[in-house]
Amino acid sequence: MIGRLLHRLMTSFLVLVGVLWIGFMMLQVLPADPAAAIAGSTGTDAEIEAIRRHLGLDQPLVWQFWIYLQRVAVGDFGRSVINNAPVAGELLRAAGPTLELMLASMAWAVPSGLLLGAFAATRRGGVIDRLVMAISVAGVSVPVFWVGLLMIQFAAATRLFPIQGRGGPLWTAEGLSHIVLPATALGLILIGPVARMTRTALADTLSADYVRTARAKGASELRVVAGHAMRTAWLPIVTLLGLQVGTLMGGAVVTETIFSWPGVGRLAVGAIVSSDYPLAQGAILFLATAFIVVNIVVDLLYGVLDPRVRRSA
Amino acid sequence: MIGTTPTSLRPSVPPSLPPSLPPSLPPSLPQPRAHSRTLRRLLANPVVALAAGFLVLITLAAILVPLVSPFDPYETTLRLRLKPPGGDWLLGTDTQGRDLLTRLLYGTRTTLLLGFTGVIFGTLLGGGIGILAAFYRRLDGPLMRLIDVFLSFPSILFGLSLAAVLGPGLDSLILAIGLSVMPGIARIARGAAASVMAQEYMDGGRVIGLPDRILMTRYLLANCAAPILVYVTLAFGDAVLLAASLGFLGLGLQPPMAELGSIAAEGRSFLFIAPHVSTAASALIFCIVLSFNLLGDAFRDAADKRFT
Repeated sequence: MIGRLLHRLMTSFLVLVGVLWIGFMMLQVLPADPAAAIAGSTGTDAEIEAIRRHLGLDQPLVWQFWIYLQRVAVGDFGRSVINNAPVAGELLRAAGPTLELMLASMAWAVPSGLLLGAFAATRRGGVIDRLVMAISVAGVSVPVFWVGLLMIQFAAATRLFPIQGRGGPLWTAEGLSHIVLPATALGLILIGPVARMTRTALADTLSADYVRTARAKGASELRVVAGHAMRTAWLPIVTLLGLQVGTLMGGAVVTETIFSWPGVGRLAVGAIVSSDYPLAQGAILFLATAFIVVNIVVDLLYGVLDPRVRRSA
Repeated sequence: MIGTTPTSLRPSVPPSLPPSLPPSLPPSLPQPRAHSRTLRRLLANPVVALAAGFLVLITLAAILVPLVSPFDPYETTLRLRLKPPGGDWLLGTDTQGRDLLTRLLYGTRTTLLLGFTGVIFGTLLGGGIGILAAFYRRLDGPLMRLIDVFLSFPSILFGLSLAAVLGPGLDSLILAIGLSVMPGIARIARGAAASVMAQEYMDGGRVIGLPDRILMTRYLLANCAAPILVYVTLAFGDAVLLAASLGFLGLGLQPPMAELGSIAAEGRSFLFIAPHVSTAASALIFCIVLSFNLLGDAFRDAADKRFT
């Protein structure tokens, strides 16, 4: 278990370095010479040279990367080119809404997916089973933005929910009504994969000997499925959920853009479109790091859920 | 949908699978009868036939549209903008007064070509890595660890980073698609190649002193092409979806180039007065991706049956 975890951490660390390198490269494509920009129109060549030396721009690329790592380590991502605000501050403001949106969509989509998958697995070939398979293949094929656009059309026609922006904290009525549409759109892309995975995992365990034993003892169907079969089926489902965070993140980038949700995804897209490299670098770095961290947590959960993993090596 | 779902959903071919050919046969001998029988059985399934038919039709339409359509895909006539479907324009006109159907077919052309190029790039890269990993045992560990890293990474982040570094456009799109397709292909190729490696004819080839290059291409690659091709079909759907999503976000091909995702984005500003623009473009993307996914799923099921 500890060896496995160390291995995972090592890999994650390498990925992180790779991601940081990409972030660093993003800052290298800045069109103008930063030293010349700081010196201004009245700067002499000597002044520009001095500033360049001061910023470390005359150093080899690898050394500059090292300086960049030191800055990122203390949370200094530079400043936005557009409004000169510190990137770290912008990211902190956007992180909350993104997390809120992802959790809200998972809150309804994961239980629904589990339930649908469980129904499908216990009645193989039935109506729900076929429905689940249809939902899941449609779910991985539909462009997220279409789901969003359809919802906006629906909401505008019925005037049930606001279609733009975040209304405030979730515990207020305003905040709650604003998150309904984006969370529904984002959750819809998650429900298919979760249902399908639950179905597959449960179908495997439902034919196991211990499930037959439980049935023979006269346990109720609910107890057999939820208490016995589900316990082993959890593992692949949790793994899948970890991987789905990537999908969810991709969906969030599009969903946030459509619903003007003030999150990191919209921030990243806006920054790239307006060539705000420091901000784009910070936002992409943030999303990638969040993704890596979630996957480490999922790996840890794996050990907690499955005693076999804990004991083996 | 963008992200990692499809790859993670699809069970990979386990390395312990028996190869597609019995060991006594020489490598890469074609099996015309077995293949055509599988193909006929596949097409007997109405869903598969429908998906395949749609893809053939839309591809033909996309290729032939310059010859068939009386409309120019780039010439704008603002006076005629946002006309509803029907009348002179089968699907109406777009935000610049261009025939929407013509624009959509030109868009399909771009999107399919983009997906095709990206998938080819990713397949060459991934297939190469997978075969190398299976052939040289020493490389297996490091290469597959690298692949694991790529496999779980959200493809939209490839798209965003490349658009940021290289600027939005053709090369960043193709690179992003290739990088997101590559890890899945590498896994499949490695699994298939590992089982072929255990075959006697591989030892035979080695014994008669064939160079590694020949062993890898004519012996190894030729015998694991089928499972790789199955996966490529599935990867196609993801590639089209990624290209369209990036196009929608404004990080793909730039106007006036017709691309399905960006047509959907153009229509977004007129969603309430002319919903047909966004809806038609999005629905077309959905149908294309759905067809590829249905086809890929069916291929995989058929291949699984044949391989096991």
